[in-house]
Amino acid sequence: MQTVACDGHNLRPPRLSRRRFLEFGAPLLGLGLMDLFRLRAEAFDSTGSKPTKSLIVFWTPGGMSQQDTYDMKPDAPPEYRGPYQPIATSVPGVFVTERFPEQSRVMQHVSVVRSVHHGNGIHAPSAHWMQTGYFGPTLARNAPQKPSFGSVISRALGARSPEMPPYVTIPKAEAFGYQGAVYLGKPYNPFEVGSDPNADDFQVPNLTLPAGLSLDNVQDRRQLLNSFDTMRHELDTTGSLAGLSEFKSQALEMVAGDHVRNAFNLSAEDPKLRDRYGRHAYGQGALLARRLVEAGTTCVTVNTGYWDHHDNVHPNLEQHLPPLDTAIAALIEDLEARGMLDDVLIYCAGEFGRTPLINGHAGRDHWPNCFSVMFAGGGLKGGQLIGESEPRGGDVLSRPTTPHDLLATIYHTLGIPLSLHFPDSAGRPTSIVNTGKPIAELI
Amino acid sequence: MHVCLIQPGTMYGAPVVRLTGILLCPVITFLFLIRPLPAEDAAAKNPAATEQNDVYFARDVVPALTKLGCNSGGCHGKSTGQNGFKLSLLGYGPTEDYEAIVVEARGRRLFPADPSQSLLLRKATGETPHGGGQRVEVDSDDYRVLLDWISAGAPAPKPEDPFVDKVSVTPDQSVLSTSDHLQLQVTAHFSDGNSRDVTRQAVYESNEPDVAEVDDMGVLSTSDGGGLFAVMVRYGEKFAVFHGTVPFAPDEQKHSSITFDLKERLERDPVDRHLLAAWNRLGIEPSPPADDATFVRRVTLDICGRLPRTEEVQAYLDDPHPDKQARLIDRLLDDPGYASYFALKWADILQNRGRGYSTSKQRQGTALFAAWIRDAIADNLPYDRFVAEILTATGSQETNPPTVWYRTVRTEQEYVESVSQAFLGVRLQCAQCHHHPTEQLSQDDYYGLAAVFSRVGRKGGFADAEVPTNEVIFLKPSGETIQPRTGEVMSPRPLGGPDFSNSSYSDPRHEFVHWMIAPDNPYFAQTMANRIWAHFLGRGIIHPIDDARSTNPPSNPALLEALTQEFVASGYDVKHLIRICANSYAYHLSMVPTASNAEDRQCFARFSPRRLPAEVLLDAFSDTLGVPTKFPGSGGEFLTGTRAIDLPDEAVDSNFLDVFGRPARSSACECERVDAPALGQALELVSSPLIQEKLASPDGFAAELAAGSKSHAENVHSAFLRIFSRPPRPEEVAVAVDFLEGQEDASTAYQSLLWSLLATNEFLFNH
Repeated sequence: MQTVACDGHNLRPPRLSRRRFLEFGAPLLGLGLMDLFRLRAEAFDSTGSKPTKSLIVFWTPGGMSQQDTYDMKPDAPPEYRGPYQPIATSVPGVFVTERFPEQSRVMQHVSVVRSVHHGNGIHAPSAHWMQTGYFGPTLARNAPQKPSFGSVISRALGARSPEMPPYVTIPKAEAFGYQGAVYLGKPYNPFEVGSDPNADDFQVPNLTLPAGLSLDNVQDRRQLLNSFDTMRHELDTTGSLAGLSEFKSQALEMVAGDHVRNAFNLSAEDPKLRDRYGRHAYGQGALLARRLVEAGTTCVTVNTGYWDHHDNVHPNLEQHLPPLDTAIAALIEDLEARGMLDDVLIYCAGEFGRTPLINGHAGRDHWPNCFSVMFAGGGLKGGQLIGESEPRGGDVLSRPTTPHDLLATIYHTLGIPLSLHFPDSAGRPTSIVNTGKPIAELI
Repeated sequence: MHVCLIQPGTMYGAPVVRLTGILLCPVITFLFLIRPLPAEDAAAKNPAATEQNDVYFARDVVPALTKLGCNSGGCHGKSTGQNGFKLSLLGYGPTEDYEAIVVEARGRRLFPADPSQSLLLRKATGETPHGGGQRVEVDSDDYRVLLDWISAGAPAPKPEDPFVDKVSVTPDQSVLSTSDHLQLQVTAHFSDGNSRDVTRQAVYESNEPDVAEVDDMGVLSTSDGGGLFAVMVRYGEKFAVFHGTVPFAPDEQKHSSITFDLKERLERDPVDRHLLAAWNRLGIEPSPPADDATFVRRVTLDICGRLPRTEEVQAYLDDPHPDKQARLIDRLLDDPGYASYFALKWADILQNRGRGYSTSKQRQGTALFAAWIRDAIADNLPYDRFVAEILTATGSQETNPPTVWYRTVRTEQEYVESVSQAFLGVRLQCAQCHHHPTEQLSQDDYYGLAAVFSRVGRKGGFADAEVPTNEVIFLKPSGETIQPRTGEVMSPRPLGGPDFSNSSYSDPRHEFVHWMIAPDNPYFAQTMANRIWAHFLGRGIIHPIDDARSTNPPSNPALLEALTQEFVASGYDVKHLIRICANSYAYHLSMVPTASNAEDRQCFARFSPRRLPAEVLLDAFSDTLGVPTKFPGSGGEFLTGTRAIDLPDEAVDSNFLDVFGRPARSSACECERVDAPALGQALELVSSPLIQEKLASPDGFAAELAAGSKSHAENVHSAFLRIFSRPPRPEEVAVAVDFLEGQEDASTAYQSLLWSLLATNEFLFNH
């Protein structure tokens, strides 16, 4: 497959007669996708795997403190190590914070990369780094420049079931707007759930009929539309007519049909299982993510609360760490019980970590020079610690890991060829991972 | 079908071993001690006397690396290289490439003691594991070039080496049949007067692979459909272009729809005759003209960004005069909708961006600039003055609203890219880091253009210096732009030079504008002519509209030239240009194809349907349903009745506008406004409260129909006229009336009926 990558000619889509182009509903697939099918076929030929995997992300916007979670420094002075004690886990020699008791039981499935760095300490550019693998926007000039990994996955793999949106964010898209598709095109933006899955009356606004509109009305409208929407698709060589018609059918099916609405219906879950995930936004978000992935969504991002704790970091963490712990651990156990763990990659990361030294406001500030991310499932090796930070956590001590490497690991796991390029808005072929390499220790 | 295969020229003869001084690492120097032999180098004295068979790094080796794909953007040519080995993209920097191959990595890439064991060759042949796989066969021609060069002592590129002066392709144009083949022959002409057949060493790329593909050996293969195409042929840094034409249908099938009278008329018209010529050349029969109802809707949408009102439709349908189309176009150009809609278009191109650090602080400026643009368009400010006033703006947003352009466009990169895309129709991005791979544009062009803006100063504004809010733009007495590769301080210059005089008493921006708006400027008027043509015909004569280059030729050069000349001669009168485009025969054609134009996308032989732009579509919903949209503004709402096309910037919250493709205004490219279909659009139609509230409003059209005293059939008739600008067909009336009669609740029934009409492609598209 790299042969293809290195040959500039093959960046062009393969030849497709225009009649065939229309049959394929070009805008849905995107011409470049035909190329992708070929690339993917080659990738799978070489690895023997199939595009069956999906990804669930716990995004920690604002930046989670690595020293209070996955990279404890118990031997550092108190102003560095903070109040939490490390606890032993199911993997000998691996310790996590005492606020992660649930994950400690399933640590054999969890691997932590402790040597991530990108060097930018401002939220927006850092979020862009971690979501897209590229440096780009600044605080003030913050327009997104590259597509998020979720959008790349959406474009590269699509949904595993045609009715489902391929890429979903819970509750909404975050990360300073960097969870979108940019030049990949609007179809690859995330489907935003738009409401709190832990709410008693949880409903998805986009799938919920507005006031005054009944399901019967929708059926009437659908039937009438069939009678009136008669403009011939083949009149249009760009495929826009056919494409929009296709999406109209999908939307009507989503709203009026069962498959998608069921996938979003958390009340169909056993209340005991819902309790195990935790009755909070993180837990129910994780459970919803599992339902979506089961129904055919390929990437779900659960955006957790804001972790930018410049003041009183530890009282704040008390609000966030226990629910995050429950959500991740319950998801791992649930997936394992369903035999899905090897097919679902779990990833927990934010834009950066936090300063090793506690500041004058009992908080921790932004720290991009060395921080941790978590992987589990997806067929990756669990129980691994990848890379090390210095004794006080300030810098990478061994195995520096970049945002590119993290994305390369994700794409590789999902079966997306790392050689994949998409043209940016100026038509330049732009790599999905640039120089990144999958983390070999995990594979 | 004919096949004319020309045998490409033979390759190098036996290598002439020539020892030249090169800097090798100590280990290799031990093995292979070479001394410079300057006096014996004949080429140094007399470049014309170089041997044909000598291998020169820049002339021979670099093109071979390009041919083999080593220095492509996906491989060692990318900015970060690949596995520690970085070559210049497509070989634009032979000196750097020489360093990378010979000197870097402690010289381990070459093994002069046994050249065939050099890592460079072993990797390329796959003998040593190579991420890029096998690129070349042992003993193939390309392999011999590399081997001969290493065997000759890997001579470094020298200024006196012969270089590629020019590349030519034979033939350089041709008419081919479908499913045809043609061997191109490529000759490289060198600076020493020699030339060589490089057919097998050149790199080929077709701009329309659907029409014709070209293989690595320069053999063209046309597809089973017709069309125009160009093939870029590159050898080293130089390229040539082959222009191909593949007619769709044989001559005798042409033009049954073009009567003798029409043909006469088209031939007399300064624009239409070029369309006719292209249709003749390609054997295309254009579609017949669209009916009046379709046309009045089409042109009202394209000029005013709104649907025609029922009475406008009726008046047009009833108008018996033959010149009614031209009069309609004139009337629409005087409609306030024209200024609003084209101001929206220009606010996108001029990046009147509201999103940033603080929308509430930026809104005042975007509103002032939006109003300035609208006024300029309403006044029909000549295009040269319009652009000049923006690019040379100084002052504050209150005293001079075009300074707001400098709020979004503020870095070297943004100046160059925005100006080149918006006004010159070229994409210079590539030349920021390297020679443009498909055009004769260099880094000097890029940074010379950047230097035009190097004295733009800013003061005041919001506290954070990076936050562009209400600054004063002024001209600094000095300022410089450095070309990063050479380290040279660039003088301001236009594309292709020469430098402007740079005095602290003059503003280089004025000189640049002066250069740009000159009648013989090759970019400025042509870009606007192409842009307006694309606005009406759905596709530029150069496509995409901001990507003019010799390797992406116009589909109809004579047509583009005619439009450009008309525009220049009119004194850059934009309304005049619009009249020409909107009155052209091509713009009036139906979208229904004929047998020979169904697959054509380049010749404007039928109308190409396109979805209404986001703002226009939202206004169309508001208008047809009789319920305005409420837009949130800072500290409240915009005045009730504010139209989406009149919003000051893109930062007004609206999910509808976002999903239907409102651009973020982060570049000057109109391509940012996308009309690709997406699920979010369909969901917005099916289940958004926005549409349902308009349908269910007691003051809306649905309620009016339900409560009125007219018959269902009459109501259906008004609904169709209002929504589709046409009366319903009998079968449509039957379906609608049948449905309405079967419903108990009239208002719900009318809501469902109207929804099902508004959700059709016939409504969502301009056709």
